Amino acid sequence: MLYRRAGIRHTSYRHERMLWPLPFDRYLVGTIAAFLIVAPFLIDRLYLVAYLLPWLIWSMAALGLNLLMGGAGQIHLGYGAVMAIGAYSSVHLVRAGVPFEIAMIAGGLASAMIGVIFGFAALRVKTLYLAMSTLAMQYIVDFVIAHVPAISGGTQATIQVPPVRFLGLRIEGDIATYYFALAVCTVVTLFMLNVHRTGFGRALAAVREKDYAAEVIGVSTFKYKLLAFWTSSFIGGVVGAVLVVCYLRSVSPDQFHIDLSVQIVAMVIVGGLGSVLGSFFGAALILFTPIVLNNLVASIAAGAGLSLSSDLRAHIPLMLYGALIVGFLVLEPLGLAKIYDNVRNYFLVWPFRYARK
Amino acid sequence: MTEGSASAVLECRDIELSFGGLRALKGLSFDIMPGEIFGLVGPNGSGKTSLVNVVTGFYRPQRGSVAIFGADTTRMRPHRIAAHGVARTFQNLALFRGMTVLDNILLGRHVHMGVGSGALATLFYWVWAARHEVAHRRAVEELIDFMQLQDIRDEPVEVIPLGLQKRVELARALAADPRLLILDEPMAGMNKEEKEYIARFILDAREERNTTVLMIEHHMDVVTSICDRVMVLSYGENIAQGKPLEAISEPRVIQAYLGERAAKRHVGAAA
Ligand SMILES: Nc1ncnc2c1ncn2[C@@H]1O[C@H](COP(=O)(O)OP(=O)(O)O)[C@@H](O)[C@H]1O
Ligand SMILES: [Mg+2]
Repeated sequence: MLYRRAGIRHTSYRHERMLWPLPFDRYLVGTIAAFLIVAPFLIDRLYLVAYLLPWLIWSMAALGLNLLMGGAGQIHLGYGAVMAIGAYSSVHLVRAGVPFEIAMIAGGLASAMIGVIFGFAALRVKTLYLAMSTLAMQYIVDFVIAHVPAISGGTQATIQVPPVRFLGLRIEGDIATYYFALAVCTVVTLFMLNVHRTGFGRALAAVREKDYAAEVIGVSTFKYKLLAFWTSSFIGGVVGAVLVVCYLRSVSPDQFHIDLSVQIVAMVIVGGLGSVLGSFFGAALILFTPIVLNNLVASIAAGAGLSLSSDLRAHIPLMLYGALIVGFLVLEPLGLAKIYDNVRNYFLVWPFRYARK
Repeated sequence: MTEGSASAVLECRDIELSFGGLRALKGLSFDIMPGEIFGLVGPNGSGKTSLVNVVTGFYRPQRGSVAIFGADTTRMRPHRIAAHGVARTFQNLALFRGMTVLDNILLGRHVHMGVGSGALATLFYWVWAARHEVAHRRAVEELIDFMQLQDIRDEPVEVIPLGLQKRVELARALAADPRLLILDEPMAGMNKEEKEYIARFILDAREERNTTVLMIEHHMDVVTSICDRVMVLSYGENIAQGKPLEAISEPRVIQAYLGERAAKRHVGAAA
């Protein structure tokens, strides 16, 4: 009965716009949330740090980019650069003695300011041309970071992240960093869920679907395109700060190259444009399939007595991303989220197949 | 502004619009008064949609001025004009695909949402945006009842029949509580019953919502029965203006519609 839609009566408009009207969805979300909260005491430390933590961080990044790509329909191939700006800004501020709470927000703001410049490109060009301009911006930001010693400390330099506190708590050790990432991820997730039920999300979708019709109902396409870039970049900047503080523990320019941007675009597309759940699915698939596949290839090769060059093995993930993006664009453009939805719908109306949406 | 026209809802003066060599609008001037249902008629390609596009800010006229409620809107962007209380529908539907009927109509409320449609209100949904959403939802539900769209509220707009889509678009325009409603062929492709529905909605909108209406329409029966005044365009020129029956029976209008020779026969037959 958990799955049933029938029998649910809405008594107010507010109630109807609940995030999860179905009891089944609420139990599922509750279970996952409970698992994430007790995970540090439940699973091996190695899995926590090597799988769960990066999954949370990359999911946040995918959510931020999904606001722009799924929500406002603007392609962005330079999200890695956006994250780099937030990461470098916050780390420099922390090193200068600014409290991390402020440094993290400032990192977000720095990314948002520069991200809006990407947005100005979007006002003039669309689709393929926007892809090219954001790509160009990625390389420009990469170049500036690497070649301005004041930012990167030199081309080959790595800047250590000093120990930080957040609201008095030390973000140190596996458990504290995990919980901090989980907390930020929760905020970003709730924000993105809310986007789907407010005028903000509707206005973005209007700009995405038909710009002249958006204008005629009073939505300024200029304002909302820039707002989409601003907000998405702000999230990207904050995620960049979380990434270096919780996971990387140090910053160097090569961490934020085009590879990262492509990785996050792949997560958004594979997971499902505009879907919150999909961002988590996409992040999991893109992060972990290469690992699984690499191990698989290695063991097959070992079994067959072949030796694979490390070069080839390094390229397997990239080829895989490409294959996944093409595969999903062709077969299921709405991504993993849509596949999940189909399965869920199947059970929602089972056994009344004719009622399936 | 000229004397006595201060109360006009829409005031167009000497509008001149060309596309390259083509003069689409040739010095059009007219006023629409509060509470009027003003018809805009004329053969295909006579410039009706272009005129509406000028009024709503999509085209910039080469000459002339547009004033809405006394404010000069000639060079304003469409979304600013919408904020002046103007809503419109399009000849070829402009609904947002992939969104439900409800969300489409809710978007019509955008001009009244203010900061409620910002990113911060979204972040603090429970203490901020939710209040706005509920208030606007109430207004929209009223409209959904008024336009009898209850059954399709949660359907994606692209799956409902064309006639209903036109009705949804009208509902979206009305959701803005416009002071001036502009309709570009709202009844195109409709059967008699559907046409009557729309005509009723337009009349009710005027009575209950104090809306002034500018309407492009081809169906002469509709025009003569609900419009207070009409303007007839031909090749971008105003060839007749006044009470519907009088305006459309002027020889120049008959000629524009039927062509010169046919018009002579028509006049001869009538005599
Ligand atoms: N964007 C445009 N570019 C070029 N010509 C246009 C454009 N819009 C309209 N026209 C031309 O202007 C004339 C009037 O068109 P329109 O206003 O659509 O007429 P109506 O709505 O009365 O059928 C037509 O000759 C049309 O081809
Ligand atoms: Mg037209």
